[in-house]
Amino acid sequence: MKDFLKRMRLMAAIVITKLAVIGLRLMNRGGTSLPGKIALKICPDILSQLSDRFRIIMITGTNGKTTTSRIAAGMLEKSGIKYIANKSGANLASGIATTLIEALSLTGKAMIRTALLETDEAAFKITAPKLKPEIVIVTNFFKDQLDRFGELYSTLGHVREGILGSPESTLILNADDSLCASLGQGVKNPVIYYGFADGVYPETDFSSNNDAPYCINCSARYSYSSVTFAHLGHFRCPRCGYERPEARIECTQVLSYDNLTSTVEVKTPAGKIAARLALPGLYNIYNALAATGLGHFLGLGVDDIKQVLEGFESGFGRMETINVMDKEIKMILVKNPTGFNQVLKYLLTQKNKCAVALALNDRLADGTDVSWIWDADLEILSFMKDRIRSFYVSGIRAEDMAVRLKYAGIEQELIKIEHDENRLIDQLLNDVTDNETVYILPTYTAMLEIRQVLKNRFKLKDFWK
Amino acid sequence: MYKLTICHLYPDLMCLYGDRGNIIALTKRCEWRNIDVETVSVSLNDDFDYKNYDIIFIGGGQDFEQTIIQDDLMRGKRQRIIEAVEEGKVFLGICGGFQLLGKYYKTQSGSEIECVGALDLWTNSSEKRLIGNLVIECDFLKTQTKDGYVVGFENHAGKTYLGEGVKPLGKVIKGFGNNGEDGFEGAVYKNTYGTYAHGSLLPKNPALTDHLITLALLNKYPEFQGLDPLVDNLENLARTTVIKRILAEKA
Repeated sequence: MKDFLKRMRLMAAIVITKLAVIGLRLMNRGGTSLPGKIALKICPDILSQLSDRFRIIMITGTNGKTTTSRIAAGMLEKSGIKYIANKSGANLASGIATTLIEALSLTGKAMIRTALLETDEAAFKITAPKLKPEIVIVTNFFKDQLDRFGELYSTLGHVREGILGSPESTLILNADDSLCASLGQGVKNPVIYYGFADGVYPETDFSSNNDAPYCINCSARYSYSSVTFAHLGHFRCPRCGYERPEARIECTQVLSYDNLTSTVEVKTPAGKIAARLALPGLYNIYNALAATGLGHFLGLGVDDIKQVLEGFESGFGRMETINVMDKEIKMILVKNPTGFNQVLKYLLTQKNKCAVALALNDRLADGTDVSWIWDADLEILSFMKDRIRSFYVSGIRAEDMAVRLKYAGIEQELIKIEHDENRLIDQLLNDVTDNETVYILPTYTAMLEIRQVLKNRFKLKDFWK
Repeated sequence: MYKLTICHLYPDLMCLYGDRGNIIALTKRCEWRNIDVETVSVSLNDDFDYKNYDIIFIGGGQDFEQTIIQDDLMRGKRQRIIEAVEEGKVFLGICGGFQLLGKYYKTQSGSEIECVGALDLWTNSSEKRLIGNLVIECDFLKTQTKDGYVVGFENHAGKTYLGEGVKPLGKVIKGFGNNGEDGFEGAVYKNTYGTYAHGSLLPKNPALTDHLITLALLNKYPEFQGLDPLVDNLENLARTTVIKRILAEKA
């Protein structure tokens, strides 16, 4: 009787959730989280119940989850595996439930057997032990939305707890991140590490290691033989000997690097790959390496992996290019200091003149505390002032961003506040000439709002498709 | 030409929530007035010779980092920090840095972690984190044209209580403040200021920033007459916009 009730509840959750998805889409709303919320209300242990119907791959970490998921999806496609994914950043338990239920028939049978799930770090703790993923990919840990997650170390603790609850999962971990790599210490899980070979990246910026300069095991200061950015690099603890583990997937050369692409050489157990990534930015090389780890796990050959890496284009909002006549709008999501710095460094590779807009919101999904903008190196923009035709700030906390720009060395007369997204886009496009670029750097919910306007005006694809 | 030296204590460890913005604000507002500024970082195992510094800043840290500096602080720097405070150096401690200036921090399990003890205040850990926007009213910043409001963001798991010798920084208008109970926020003792407000605190509250710079210049140059005014349109717009929004949330 108890089993029967349990089954009925699951069936009810599936049917109602599917109806909710259809209903919300008909009303032209995304409907990526709410249906799952309903499902979890009706059947609280729905994730555990569904876990054996799917082969699950989870991706978590502070930065690069979405991009890594997208490249990982390419690896699955290349392997001939049909999959479902929570593409639009609906990465809490509710979004995951929606995604899984969508892949079920009305009788609860999985029509697609593999699920690729980008998962919020705090949600990972609860969902991973229930879903029993076959593979867990972790990108990195940086300070991010501390108002929501608490401290960086508690975020790491969430992921660690999730992994301890999934002892069978194969872990694909960033070797260069002392925090992320520590997840592979003392566990029985098989681990595939990825990272940059020692000294490959020409920059040695030791000053910006604010997130994790001290050993996670014994609190001594790490020494580094090379650094890629922030606290990522070849670290070693002089006291307890904890050091950057050997990486099976390794970037052994950066052959070229500009504002559109980077060409890298990647060493895998199957051989070396030279691939031209259609993604700029050092941080995206890490994302490509993480996804290569999955390709390796799936048994893809070097040519297949190369094709996936080269064929990938940037996803929803993380970096999106929209052509408007002969001008171009590039929108790049910024959400924490390390990610912001990477985007600013990417802007430095820009050679033509451009216009820049920063859109800062402080809703829950953005982080209600905006102090993180002071940890990002906006000063970089003052070094390239001569190439920037105009500076705009927008969003709920536009004025805070204006102050940040002023203290970064941009004259206050040059900083324009524009809260209306339509007018913002008009003015930006008006400020650049043909073949020039408008850069919009929004936080998460600001991106959704600006994207809505761009969608209405320039007919972008709906993001849940 | 005037010159100020700022000491940033433990910048690699106690620098959370945009604490760096406070150093940037102090620096820029001096530079815009042609006051020469230098910032010196003092961290683990470094000497802290406070006599060389005019403004001393310590920010917030995570638990992990606070345990790292504990030894260093108690071994060498503690006595010097007490002397600096007593001598009237301009000192600003935010969040974890504010708590550290007090006498002790009592953990959930009831054990007391000894702190610097430069200020007569103490902190008990609370189960619930006190998180959100914070608006306070500071009498010492009030003038005929200025409301004395200071705005920031608080995020702390400790409840701080003030002893006899120290005064609160301000009265809570919106938010929790020191402990969410007595309606006050922060602490002032001589020229030392402690607060839970980050955000960053100083860029958006130029009156407070200028107050600290003025105190530091008066310490060093007894003949100093006062700061030249700056155009603070953006700062004030950011301040009033967010204050208006926070106060409206009440309804």
